[in-house]
Amino acid sequence: MAFTFHGGIHIDEHKTTRRCLVETMPPPKSVSIPLSQHIGAHAVPVVKVGDTVDKGQVIGVIEKGLGCPVHASVSGKVTAITEKNAANGMKIRNIVIANDGEERLSPDIKPWGKSLADTTTEEIIEIIRAAGISGMGGATFPTYAKIQSALGKVERIIVNCAECEPYITANHRLLLENPEAVINGLKILMKAFGLRESEIAVEDNKLDAINKLENRLVGSKMIHVRVLKTKYPQGDERQLIYALTGRELPVGKLPADVGCCVFNAETCAAIFNAFAEGMPLIERIVTVDGDCIKRPRNLLVPLGTSFTDIMHCCGGLIRSLKKIVSGGPMMGVSQWDKDGVVTKGTSAILFFSEKAENRYEQPPTCIRCGRCVRACPMRLMPNYLATFASQGKLEQCEEFDVIACVECGSCSYSCPGHVPIVQYIRAAKGQINDRKRAQAAALANSQVNPEKG
Amino acid sequence: MDKTPADNQTPLTAEAEAHVPEVSAAPDSPEEIEARTNSFLPELLTVSPSPHIRTEDTSRSIMLDVCISLMPALIWGIYVFGWRVLTLTLISVGFAVGSEFLYEKLMKKPVTILDFSTVVTGLLLALNLPVSVPLWMPAVGAVFAIIVVKQLFGGLGKNFVNPALAARVFLFAWPGHMSTFTSPGDKLSAAALKIAETDIVAGATPLASLKNGVLPDTSLFDMIIGYESGCIGEVSALLLAAGGIYLLARRVITWHIPVSYIGTVLLVTFVFAKSSLPFDFALAEIFSGGLFLGAIFMATDYATSPVTNMGRVVYGIGCGLLTVFIRYFGGYAEGVSFSILIMNLLVWYIDRYSKPVRFGGVKVDEAGK
Ligand code: SF4
Ligand code: SF4
Repeated sequence: MAFTFHGGIHIDEHKTTRRCLVETMPPPKSVSIPLSQHIGAHAVPVVKVGDTVDKGQVIGVIEKGLGCPVHASVSGKVTAITEKNAANGMKIRNIVIANDGEERLSPDIKPWGKSLADTTTEEIIEIIRAAGISGMGGATFPTYAKIQSALGKVERIIVNCAECEPYITANHRLLLENPEAVINGLKILMKAFGLRESEIAVEDNKLDAINKLENRLVGSKMIHVRVLKTKYPQGDERQLIYALTGRELPVGKLPADVGCCVFNAETCAAIFNAFAEGMPLIERIVTVDGDCIKRPRNLLVPLGTSFTDIMHCCGGLIRSLKKIVSGGPMMGVSQWDKDGVVTKGTSAILFFSEKAENRYEQPPTCIRCGRCVRACPMRLMPNYLATFASQGKLEQCEEFDVIACVECGSCSYSCPGHVPIVQYIRAAKGQINDRKRAQAAALANSQVNPEKG
Repeated sequence: MDKTPADNQTPLTAEAEAHVPEVSAAPDSPEEIEARTNSFLPELLTVSPSPHIRTEDTSRSIMLDVCISLMPALIWGIYVFGWRVLTLTLISVGFAVGSEFLYEKLMKKPVTILDFSTVVTGLLLALNLPVSVPLWMPAVGAVFAIIVVKQLFGGLGKNFVNPALAARVFLFAWPGHMSTFTSPGDKLSAAALKIAETDIVAGATPLASLKNGVLPDTSLFDMIIGYESGCIGEVSALLLAAGGIYLLARRVITWHIPVSYIGTVLLVTFVFAKSSLPFDFALAEIFSGGLFLGAIFMATDYATSPVTNMGRVVYGIGCGLLTVFIRYFGGYAEGVSFSILIMNLLVWYIDRYSKPVRFGGVKVDEAGK
């Protein structure tokens, strides 16, 4: 029996690259490494223009607060430290390194000498922090901080290999080609949490990977492979936890509050690399696909590689490009800059022409078909949310739980009237949060200066 | 990331090769790739919020499906009542589409006739008329449905009563025309067409006799097949059900409204049968009159029915109860149109109170058990 959740949608999978082996990308001539590829504080550069750096060398550190150090992904010379607009419009400093092609490894990279049994939880967390590992599924929360905050509350660790977004096959290939890294990484996490059991959850469109894992894990009482039904958004943390445990994670709570901690498969593999080889997170698997690209494939890419280099590496474009999406087509971010770069959270880069969008030339109109309501995994009523939001009725949006929306896009996807539902919802959420902040500020103000009332 | 040297050095397997799309035998040179890529690069990339893909279904494809699903009933109507049916239908559809087009042109709104929803309205209106109505009636009804009921309330999806049904009820302003039914196969006599003056009842519908507690002369088989008098599109329960199954299979409608509606009517008329043969009576009730047409095609109209499954069941039951009530106690033999219209007005309340509890809305520890 496969595990699943309520609502959700079936999407054409487009997993063209399902059988494309992960190929190592020829190192690009230069990389541009953003000093913030995670949620939290920006890293501060510790190299200067003109410095020679080794592959894996620390080039940015976090001085205080939450965040991940940044490492050089190639060896070479720092040619510039510039500010660049990221996809979300934020200005982020980038360190540009010209690749000298020597692949010189930093001398700091050496395996953690001790066996896992002798390693303490604190040491594991430090290894993960030093390796700069953050969630590689797209959320990019620093992994060490996630472990720290969840310690003691967690009874189940779940490795998320649902990979429910269309097109992406990076995790699928990882499970097929290197299941050991994932399993070993998971064992390290289990040791850190002091747990004896854990689960790897895979959607049933990846039966070959499931078989492979099961073969590796024959007789293991520690790690269970769970088969999930293929449905979007199964990879959403809440739906995954619900499918496996029946627990509903309320809005505003963390998985640890229901005793779970979810890790991405590639994050596990990165943890294993950090432990076994001392290798920090400097490259990742990226699925390159979309109807514009000549040769869709899975690539192992150094972080900081530009989309242009990736385009060229994949045979170039074959039709007029409209959009570059970093991440999956459902939740990924469209890029304004063709020279944007691969970061720790980039699981896919998709090159779409106009056709992929299925545009409908009629003006967007809700015909009240109810498909969005059935699709919503959070059991909201997206059609009403969109209507209220478009009319600026924020109170009614709140009454209909707009805040609970996880922006999975299932509603917009399934809407035959092509109402940009999620867009309206995002706007309403933004306004509600602004208003709350303003109210909180006003309240704080009045408490500081009570005489002013 | 862990490297997979062994995998990377081995060439692609034959299987993988076959699945790598568009691999040309001789890869282009880097210069060629660059030139081609640059030629396809846009000046500016489009930035738009996610999701970046959409279902292929559109409002139009859904409305087309509804049209297709109504075809068997329409063709049967032509077979039973003659070619005049086609004339009425064309007038109704033509005036519906035409009035929407003109209205939108005049009001300088985007013209939306291509979404086919007006065609559906026109079709449904025609199917809800007796074949003997004068030709101006579908025209007036269609204009009323589109302009007054649909457009004045904001167009597609914003009207709160079903346009075709509202138009039908509006046409009851000429009751003589609207409640004269022709028996199947009858040649339309001049008398039947001048019915308003002569007041001849050309064919009694099974419903009319059921109202008096008499099982109709029409056999159950004829009622299911549709060989009875009645409105153009309502007679054949079988073909209407076939259309409904098509809509279910195409996921245009869900089962909730038709099943709860027809089920309620069946149950209530069985329990409160006006005849000593309750089962026969109940079956005659559901297979005669406009119940199938109403439950499958009119009550499921998106704009005027609830969006949640729970709400749809409530709505279907409400329609069923009202239908039986009107059939038993009302002035007309038929209650389907009125009951759907009444329930239309309650849709917002049904939606609001059938709002599902959001995910995680229950307490964590309760949900965990
Ligand atoms: S899916 Fe679109 S058309 Fe259907 S109810 Fe939702 S918003 Fe309206
Ligand atoms: S309303 Fe939010 S949670 Fe629900 S389907 Fe739409 S985007 Fe997903």
